[in-house]
Amino acid sequence: MIIRIIHFCVIVAMVAAATYVYDIKFESTMQAERLAKVRSDIRRERDAVAALRAEWAALNAPSRLEALAKRHLPLKTTDARQFDQLAGLPERPKPPLFANEPDPIGALLSIEEEKDIPTGSTGRQGAQ
Amino acid sequence: MTDTPATQSRLSLVNRLLYGNVDREAKGRARVGLAIVAFACIYTVICGRLVYLASTSDSQTARRGGGDIIATARPDILDRNGEVLATDVRMPSLFGEPRRIIDVDEAVELLTATVPDLNANELRERLSSKRGFVWLKREITKEQQRQIHRLGIPGIGFRSENKRVYPNGSEVSHLIGHVNIDNQGIAGIEKWLDGRGLADLHSLGFANDRLQKPVELAVDLRVQHALRSELMAAKTKYKAKAAAGLITDVRTGEIVSMVSVPDYDPNDPREALDKERINRLTTGVFEMGSTFKALTVAMALDSGKVSLGSSFDARNSLRYGRFQINDFHAQRRILSVPEIFTYSSNIGTARMALLLGVDYHKAFLKKMGQLDRLRTEIPESAEPIVPKRWGELNTVTIAFGHGLSVAPLQAVMGISALMNGGKLIPPTFLKRTEAEANELAKQVVTPATSDRMRYLMRLNAEKGSARKADVEGYYVGGKTGTAEKVVGGRYSKTKLLTSFTAVLPADKPRYLILIMLDEPQPLPETHGYATSGWNAVPVAGLVIGRVAPLLGVAPRFDLPPADRLILAATSSTR
Repeated sequence: MIIRIIHFCVIVAMVAAATYVYDIKFESTMQAERLAKVRSDIRRERDAVAALRAEWAALNAPSRLEALAKRHLPLKTTDARQFDQLAGLPERPKPPLFANEPDPIGALLSIEEEKDIPTGSTGRQGAQ
Repeated sequence: MTDTPATQSRLSLVNRLLYGNVDREAKGRARVGLAIVAFACIYTVICGRLVYLASTSDSQTARRGGGDIIATARPDILDRNGEVLATDVRMPSLFGEPRRIIDVDEAVELLTATVPDLNANELRERLSSKRGFVWLKREITKEQQRQIHRLGIPGIGFRSENKRVYPNGSEVSHLIGHVNIDNQGIAGIEKWLDGRGLADLHSLGFANDRLQKPVELAVDLRVQHALRSELMAAKTKYKAKAAAGLITDVRTGEIVSMVSVPDYDPNDPREALDKERINRLTTGVFEMGSTFKALTVAMALDSGKVSLGSSFDARNSLRYGRFQINDFHAQRRILSVPEIFTYSSNIGTARMALLLGVDYHKAFLKKMGQLDRLRTEIPESAEPIVPKRWGELNTVTIAFGHGLSVAPLQAVMGISALMNGGKLIPPTFLKRTEAEANELAKQVVTPATSDRMRYLMRLNAEKGSARKADVEGYYVGGKTGTAEKVVGGRYSKTKLLTSFTAVLPADKPRYLILIMLDEPQPLPETHGYATSGWNAVPVAGLVIGRVAPLLGVAPRFDLPPADRLILAATSSTR
């Protein structure tokens, strides 16, 4: 009797295993198909990107841009005198006091007594 | 077969257990044991196979995936800023399978109606053949593909192939070269790519995907365009046969720009076969004329026997057998070394070379790489024409640039070495850092000689023949060269090859620029002259004005003259 039960269990286990294996096999086939499709999509996209890049390069070619610029823009070749070093720039003006206040002028007037605070218009002189 | 008693007894035990008249329990256990062993073996094999498939299946599927591509995929070629110079685009190609075609006449009629440039007779002949596969037309448009597909002719199909496109057309033609219909490189950098192992990859079937790393060149497309458009303008203005220009970084040997017009469109490589369209900078060899005097003067200064204060007799022309050497700008007096350089005195340089002797001269030019074929990445190169018997007369003429023909790129390499502190760096078309260049570099002259040469070059732009190229702000130095071309074994007075070699900035050299014009004609505004100072030099001035901002050379103004800026700095540090 026990042997029969064991046999039955084994048969059930086998059928279950077969179903499981079939399921996995089916799933993996699906996945493989999807993978192949995605791969071919990627290749197609990459080809399209390459074609667009080639087109961009052709449209952005210096010879084409120069011809267009000559026709439509009043630009001239840059002269060496038009360049300057970053160090040659004047100092950036100090931001006006109380720029964040809703009423900057009013805020400035309220401390009018303290003369040593620089204002936007007098700049550095006021600070000294 | 002789068995040992032990194995015999074991065999007989197994036999007895399986078939013999032993008790059933023992027999059953033996049978189950055998079954276990057999199944274990089978499962081991299955597991092994699974592991094998899991580890190898990737490459197999990849190879299967690329089967429809015939022409090799090539890596993109980019300029130094990442602009595309050459790339692959997938194009459909039309093929036929004659055995499967039912009605040849109908197919021919329909196809020629859709693709007008198909030859009807040729098409009929191909489709009537007994072969299994024939190409009908390579590279058709997507629109044509759609139309033909809609016609539904049996036995006609498409395959997509990689086609090489050059978005910039002629702009970089000589540099990157071109490919044939099967996408194999046949000139320039394209050929170098194949030689580097791409062809092997292709034959193994690996080179069909786009995943290859792009190749970055040293060339700057913007500079290349500026140089080319100036040269095209110069070629027209001076009615020259050809014009060529080269810009190299003296610290790394990178070729930032190389143009030789007339050139060709690599998208239509048939033009490349025209002899007039060769790359004059690498494939042609020329007598460089006075440009070579820079090498002679550097040799004399480097030898220690001559200093900047030395003087040479240029009062009378130098007689050598039946030859007589004269100066173009004859001064008829004793000249110092800087004067010899700025007046470009043939007599003076010849005397300098004679002072050091033939062997020294020859060894120096060998050291400077002027006597051997210069090889770069691109396959086009030319052997310099060196005199077979090198006597004193040869030394005299070679001292001022006649009698030795070199590729202009070679001369540029030599003069770069005189500018950058005495390091001879082989030129390259690929990106290279200064550290890499220093590893390849060979010290050929002392840094002090290099400083003196830069002083002389700058002096020439301040006082000598290179004044027209002294673009304000860039502290240009330069040497002109006018060589008479040999026509029918004699030097022609009217057919000239003018060149100009400029260095900028002369105090801290970064770039060397060579401009070369082949047979420029005298114009009214050049007062009837066709020498270098009247054509190559102003062209170089225009080029420098356009190119220097692109190269990132910061303009500086109100710099002191060469004797104070370059020479004074040298004497204080050494």
